Amino acid sequence: MQRMFMRRVGLALLLMLAATALTFWLVTAAPGNVAALIAERAAGSGADGEMIARIADDLGLNDPLPVRYARWLGDALTGDFGVSLRTGKPMAEEFAERIPMTLALLVGGGILALVISLAMGIAGAASNGGVVDRVLHGLALVGASTPNFFVAALLVIVFSVWLGVLPSFGVSGLTSWLLPWVTIALFPASVLARVVRVNLQDTMSRPFATTGFAKGLTRRAVLFREALPNIAIPYMTTFGAQFTLMIIGAIVVERVFGLNGVGAFFIEAIRFRDFIGMQATLTLFVVFFVSVNLTVDLLAMLADPRLRRPRKA
Amino acid sequence: MLKLDRRSFLASTAGLSFLSILPRIAHADGHSDTLRVAIAGETGDLDLLQNVSTLSSYSAVFDALIHYGPGGTLEPGLATAWSVAEDGLSISFDLREGVSFSDGTPFDATAAEWNLKRWMGVADFSWIGIADAYDSIVIDTPNKITVKLKRPVPAALLELTIVRPVRFLSPRAAAGQPIGTGPWIVESYSSTETVLVRNDAYWGEKPAFARMELKVVPDELARANALRAGELDVIGGDWVAALSPRRAQALASEGMTVVAEPGTATTILGFSPQSPMMQDKAVRDAIFLGIDRAAVATVLFEGFADPTVDIFPATVPTAGSRTPVPARDVAAAQAALTAGGWAGDGAGWSKDGAALEIAFLVSEESFPGSRRIAEMIQGMLMEVGIKTNIETVDNATMHDRRPKFDYDLTFFGTYGAPYDPHGSLGASFVTASDTGPDGKIYVHPDLDTLVATALETGGDARTGAMQAVYDWLRDNTAACPLVVTQRLWAVHPRVEGFALPATDYDLPFKGITLG
Repeated sequence: MQRMFMRRVGLALLLMLAATALTFWLVTAAPGNVAALIAERAAGSGADGEMIARIADDLGLNDPLPVRYARWLGDALTGDFGVSLRTGKPMAEEFAERIPMTLALLVGGGILALVISLAMGIAGAASNGGVVDRVLHGLALVGASTPNFFVAALLVIVFSVWLGVLPSFGVSGLTSWLLPWVTIALFPASVLARVVRVNLQDTMSRPFATTGFAKGLTRRAVLFREALPNIAIPYMTTFGAQFTLMIIGAIVVERVFGLNGVGAFFIEAIRFRDFIGMQATLTLFVVFFVSVNLTVDLLAMLADPRLRRPRKA
Repeated sequence: MLKLDRRSFLASTAGLSFLSILPRIAHADGHSDTLRVAIAGETGDLDLLQNVSTLSSYSAVFDALIHYGPGGTLEPGLATAWSVAEDGLSISFDLREGVSFSDGTPFDATAAEWNLKRWMGVADFSWIGIADAYDSIVIDTPNKITVKLKRPVPAALLELTIVRPVRFLSPRAAAGQPIGTGPWIVESYSSTETVLVRNDAYWGEKPAFARMELKVVPDELARANALRAGELDVIGGDWVAALSPRRAQALASEGMTVVAEPGTATTILGFSPQSPMMQDKAVRDAIFLGIDRAAVATVLFEGFADPTVDIFPATVPTAGSRTPVPARDVAAAQAALTAGGWAGDGAGWSKDGAALEIAFLVSEESFPGSRRIAEMIQGMLMEVGIKTNIETVDNATMHDRRPKFDYDLTFFGTYGAPYDPHGSLGASFVTASDTGPDGKIYVHPDLDTLVATALETGGDARTGAMQAVYDWLRDNTAACPLVVTQRLWAVHPRVEGFALPATDYDLPFKGITLG
């Protein structure tokens, strides 16, 4: 078990390294000149060719790509991700300010998605082809097919503009989080609700469920006691994948609701060709993706002994 | 009969209680004495020497020696009077007495000298004429200084009205502390908002309300919705939180006050001076005549733009005489091509075996909405017989290709007040100027001479020298001005007395009262 654990962690670290190398190459290959942007920040329209060349030389931008990557990686490992070209602040400072905001959005949205998906999936399975099941199926389809920027606009118009009961942007208390949480949770909740519903249906038709019915258990009892624990692994795996994908939703949701998180920073970094900000944020996303997936893998291994067994040829 | 058990009753009661307090929670904090203005990006620490913080917030906190008034009039700021020596080599300023920075440091000749020496004579600020020509500063009295120059700078006084780096910071301010003499004091700033409180010791007319909150809302639709919901009071301004014409129309129809005033920056279609096709004046003439500027202003800007064929609008000083905007004339455009040796008709043109086909470089990032304008122009030119290929690129590619003149046609904009006309002329129409990624609108040796003369000429002769530049540009069809976009703002009905400041680089707060 310990060996397998170490192997997974090692693979995750290798994956992170490969992903940071790839993003470094992609960001470097993108059109635009870091030195020109830094010169523009320092001198506005007064930036000239000589100044740009001097900055490029000072930053080592003329060095070969592997040398630059090694230098960047060395700095990143010590927590130095450079200074944002757009805001002029060290990236470590930006992250310290913004990560809590994004985490609050993701964790709140994740919990909401979890609650909604389980409620919808279980209610659908309990109804089993009835009106409730069909309505929830339709709602899940709509939720999974509606882009989050549209959902955000709709919620703001209804709850902020028409009803005036919830703030439309910024953070000024718990109520400020309701619309962003609902917006970001809608898609994963809809997908996960279908996962719960389909897996419950499958599990309910298995022999042990039939045995439960034969023993006189009610449908509700079989559903909760026998079927639900059996869908934990597929649910956990899909939830992990959806949770990591929520970071993509955060890029839109943070911007629309004026939340100063990492997603909003990333979109502005792209707009302003803040290469240093882009690279640092992409690295953070890579760490987030790999860490969440690793955690889900390890939890699944803990929960299911079959996953802990070494594979046989 | 309705059956209500204890669990349902408790759940319903809790739910109803929560819903009933929501509006109170949402609108808990009072805003009767606070103006809430949307800004598209965080203000930053308002460092006067870095090109990072948003330009529009400086004027609320920092004063300049001279302030830019309507139409480019010079108004007293921290200097109550000034005089330029006859030879133009020194400028004396009488400093306003009894003024202090908001940290209590007195504003006097020593503080003024400390501030001016931070950028005058410094290489990074050589793009400012007075900084480049700087020689020395003499403290005449505790409230009078004289700036000595190596050569005359006719636009020196106008240059002293710009936003950055010319405004005055307390010499005792630590790094990252924005302390000025202006009407507002920065109480706090973060990536979500900057809070300003009224400077009750301000020397000028004090604002009628005590606080101003600059809320960061990057998304334009979110800003409009927040205005509708009453969470914001003011949105708009190209350099603050841009408002699109279409959105402005929608807000106006919903009871919001939309304020539109003539702009100070011109949107110009630039011809690459290095493109063989664009070096042919007949082609430039045909394009100039083939575009319906009124239609562009009406259709794409919803009427919030004014068609023009002049490089600068009348709202900037020494903008030259006004040229009537000609109606679109397809026949005249085709006649220009025929006169230039091109053969063909509305189906296409050719000369010496080469077809008339031009590349139109567009970047939505650099100039939002430009793709739609380009498509409209493409359609107009097609009727003339000019085939136009639109290339949509990102901002970085635009920054890369524009300085190399790697295009046939592309969009440019003049800087607007208070930087024009000297700013755009000196940067965008001079071969030797290094404008970095911005590129230049048009360059030519003859134009270099005329612009240099105009920028060096002061006094009464300046108007004539400037007009000579504008005439050359017009006679040679060196650029194709399209429209002057209006300055657009939308205001919540509770805001009264809203009036726009002289430039879009300033925040509007003067004269405003809150209902």
